[in-house]
Amino acid sequence: MNHMISDPTPVVYLNNAATTWPKPPQVLEEVAACLRLPVHEAGRTTGTGSTDYPSAAREALAAFFHAGPPEHFVFTQNATDSLNLLIHGFVKKTGKPFHTITTELEHNSVLRPLTTLEHDGAISLSVVPFTDNTVRLAAIKKVICPETRLVVMTHGSNVLGSVQDIKPIAEYLHANDIFFIVDGAQTAGHIPVDLADIPVGAYVFTGHKALFGIPGIGGFFISEPDAIAITRQGGTGTDSRTLTQPSGMPERFETGTHNYLGIASLYAGIRFINTVGISDIERTGRDLTDRFIRELKRTKGITIYNEKPELPVVSFDIAGIDNQEVGFILGRAYNIIMRTGLHCAPLVHRRIDGGNGCVRASFSYFTTIEEIETASAAIREVAESAHR
Amino acid sequence: MRWQRVRIVKSVQTKVCVDGSLMKEYVLDEPLTEGFLKFLEQFGTVRYLDNLKKPYFSFEKEQFISIKGFVGDESVEVRYKNEFHDIILDYFHLLLYYHREGVSGIERLKGIEESMKEKIEIRLGT
Repeated sequence: MNHMISDPTPVVYLNNAATTWPKPPQVLEEVAACLRLPVHEAGRTTGTGSTDYPSAAREALAAFFHAGPPEHFVFTQNATDSLNLLIHGFVKKTGKPFHTITTELEHNSVLRPLTTLEHDGAISLSVVPFTDNTVRLAAIKKVICPETRLVVMTHGSNVLGSVQDIKPIAEYLHANDIFFIVDGAQTAGHIPVDLADIPVGAYVFTGHKALFGIPGIGGFFISEPDAIAITRQGGTGTDSRTLTQPSGMPERFETGTHNYLGIASLYAGIRFINTVGISDIERTGRDLTDRFIRELKRTKGITIYNEKPELPVVSFDIAGIDNQEVGFILGRAYNIIMRTGLHCAPLVHRRIDGGNGCVRASFSYFTTIEEIETASAAIREVAESAHR
Repeated sequence: MRWQRVRIVKSVQTKVCVDGSLMKEYVLDEPLTEGFLKFLEQFGTVRYLDNLKKPYFSFEKEQFISIKGFVGDESVEVRYKNEFHDIILDYFHLLLYYHREGVSGIERLKGIEESMKEKIEIRLGT
């Protein structure tokens, strides 16, 4: 399906790893309903009748990720906000320098907080390389030392579309009393995530990607809230006589008025995924991705950096033309929106393309075969043109 | 040949790129033509891909600027190389201005360009 924007030129949107578009109609309707009705949240209003979106969404998240209690799902602005809260909160709680492990696959939402803390002398940092586009337990074990207290790693690479097998990693780290923060920004909503079976310390998600919410809502699940120091204080609508931050969940980490529209959109997005079925969404993503890769392989001069991604993300370059130029041409001449450059993951690009960046196409449940064909044909034209 | 009199209507986007260069997108008062590309060839490397849905061009001038756009479009993306923003910030405006003057504009702009290069070389210590 070609979607219409205001100009009204049809646009093929293949930047879903950044933000999914379009959103399901149910999400748009829920956001509109949320705006139409007065805000209602337990402890903050006396009224009844409207949906208590924070409570409803927490229940939905707990069921979706098979983890609980629902109060252990905390709302933030996005995955970056969650990671900052968790990483800095863990360091503050620990109170003395320790060793941390992360990976080459990470987004700057992980790399920048950790590097800042390393520069401040709060942590020492080991960055584990990826092999065959993934990071495995054996590679992490190699750098674990007696001072290791924290591992932060992505579940799914936003450049390579690889999914890390986090279960054995989580089990090993849990057994060795090492806190494990998983960045699920790219996996939540794309593949089944069963946290009942994976003993993570915290699992981070964002609403605006495959969970089909609107930008500005994210969150995390935390199994051990006491591992993270309170770093934000303010109104919670509870225990208001006390002038320090309540330590209960979720008030421990949530202050101020909630992003009700964002939470409503996340709630509706999860219900949409439940209606369609996560397996169907995963299968659709793989079919679209396979189709796109097959098309690219038919075209001369294209380097694909991830021929077997597990997420609907394909990173590539066209010989003889800079990735920024490819994006410019596709966007301006063909109305095909992709993402170019480093994708906020500089260490991945240092390995795969010398740090020059590449072109990334990413799909959602709403991407169509026609859009894949349109994009492939345009890429072919650009590649052939660059070689003439 | 009719020399095009193109003027900048507005700058619609400014950002700092990965490599530290400054990117600006300009909206012009009329579409760019192949004639402007011929003019650009006097000053740097022009790449022209005319068999795409829209004819794409890029212009690269080391230490100065790069330009991306389409012949027939009224918008163009200009990147100012990172080290010398203050020296080269007028360069795109100068290209548009001296293009209006036709052949004589080429020599005059080359003269200005030489003085810009001297400033850059002093900055580089070469």
